Amino acid sequence: MTIKKRYLRIVHILFIAFLFIQLLPDKAAYPVYTSLLIKFAVGAEIVVLIGSALVKKEGSLALLVDIVGFLFVFLAVWSLVTAKYNYLNPQLFPAPGKIVHQFVEDRDKIWTNVKSSLLTIIKGFLLATAIAVPLGLFIGWSARIGSAATYITKFFSSIPPIVYIPYGIALLPTFKSVSVFVIFLATFWPVFAGTMSGVLGVDKKIIDSAKVLNVGKPEMLFRVILPASLHQIFLGCNQGLSVSFILLTSAEMIAAKDGMGYYVKYYSDFGDYTRTITGLLVIGSVVIGVTFLFNKLQSSLLRWKR
Amino acid sequence: MTTNKIEIKDLTVNYIENKKSFNALHNVSFGVGKGEFVSVIGASGCGKSTLLSVLEGLYAPAGGTVQIDGKELHGTGTERGVVFQHYSLFPWMTTKKNIEFGIKQSRHDVKRSERGKIAEEFLTKVGLKGFGSKYPSQLSGGMQQRAAIARALAMNTEILLMDEPFSAIDAKNRVLLQELLLNLWEGDGVEERKTVVFVTHDIDEAILLSDKIVVLTAHPGTVNEIVNVPFERPRSRAELVKTDEYAKFRNRLLSLLYNDIAERIGGDEVVL
Repeated sequence: MTIKKRYLRIVHILFIAFLFIQLLPDKAAYPVYTSLLIKFAVGAEIVVLIGSALVKKEGSLALLVDIVGFLFVFLAVWSLVTAKYNYLNPQLFPAPGKIVHQFVEDRDKIWTNVKSSLLTIIKGFLLATAIAVPLGLFIGWSARIGSAATYITKFFSSIPPIVYIPYGIALLPTFKSVSVFVIFLATFWPVFAGTMSGVLGVDKKIIDSAKVLNVGKPEMLFRVILPASLHQIFLGCNQGLSVSFILLTSAEMIAAKDGMGYYVKYYSDFGDYTRTITGLLVIGSVVIGVTFLFNKLQSSLLRWKR
Repeated sequence: MTTNKIEIKDLTVNYIENKKSFNALHNVSFGVGKGEFVSVIGASGCGKSTLLSVLEGLYAPAGGTVQIDGKELHGTGTERGVVFQHYSLFPWMTTKKNIEFGIKQSRHDVKRSERGKIAEEFLTKVGLKGFGSKYPSQLSGGMQQRAAIARALAMNTEILLMDEPFSAIDAKNRVLLQELLLNLWEGDGVEERKTVVFVTHDIDEAILLSDKIVVLTAHPGTVNEIVNVPFERPRSRAELVKTDEYAKFRNRLLSLLYNDIAERIGGDEVVL
């Protein structure tokens, strides 16, 4: 990339425009923490500058720049309608600086809650994939039970995992274990179904090609069938992951004592919408972050596909 | 009686399709000598690929026997290397990994550290030096078949089975691949030549490469005639195609193939 392509971007103009808007006097009757908001924006601008210097792919850089540009516009408009001109109800629509301030103030509490939610998801998700993938490989490979198993899987995966919650509560001692159990179920069936349909769909030519190389049964399963069905397995994992987040946050809003869903629900009960919005934004960032990392893993494991 | 490397006797194979069984091969018998290159040709649907999948050990015959070194064939075996028309290579392994995997399966005496070296050596032989880290999807069809040949050769099996390996390749590259295979198989005369069974529907390909050509007739697949190829080795396509003998021999093979089709046009089945 040329220097021009790297550094001559509209995002910097947006950044400066944002700074000018922040120079306008605050009209809100509550502290709006403009300096904190500016610090946050400067942080974002620094990320763009570092990215411009280091990111190799033109597409990824453009993506980063566009997202941050959108962020500047969004923050500018948000502060105009709240802190600067006071158009919106300050109770329901706190100024952006206030959200940043709240985030900084609550960071330990937020981190504990994020950690609790993530740990629950990771436990349930890993447990489910660790069992579903090998089981799907074995059962899919024994083609005769394969077709019966497809129908059984269809039946179980058609039950929305959320309806297991009351039964889970009766069955298991703690809310944590119920959450892990429900996430396990939400992930297990799509991954199991994905693995099986992957195995059943492996091109016969690939299997023949492995057979003439005299591969043993474990190698056939894990070095041939597994990579050949990996794409389908990931489809199942993605589905399981997104359902898991929905389930967990809803469950936390009903019955938990920590977790991100709990944070949002708890403070909105008190009418503390600054914390509610902070929580929403944090949940959004966490889900995006996890999905991003998971997609990275997927594309690196599937890089052999065109 | 001379002992052949591969001895096929009264081979009969039935295929089941839509619950109807039909006779794909009927009483097929021929032998392949040690170090001999034998092509099997015939119109599409004559069962030539079925014949090869029996030799590969992927398909069990309904009757007759196949013997390798006097022992009856059961299932797949490490003494046979195979090149298919498609998907000989695993798409999730790099070219080099594919070859190393093949070596690991067939040559238990080769140490892990040596596999890489052998793989590189054979990649160079087929003209793919520097392509070892590429995945099959990053290579053209011709390059994929080169890599598949490299693997089959690196596995150092006594027998090579090739199922229309070049029929999906464009005409220009097909010629290059045929010559590559011819040179690699003929070798320098020091090493022992491999026993090859090669299935094709390309007459020129069969003549250029083979010592012996088995012509199959379809419905059911039976041996029409077994023809010895009279041209001396080492062969060169450019020299070969200029001669009158080549033209005559080619015509003879063509008429063997077309007689069969003409007979069927007279019947109730039109294939052309």
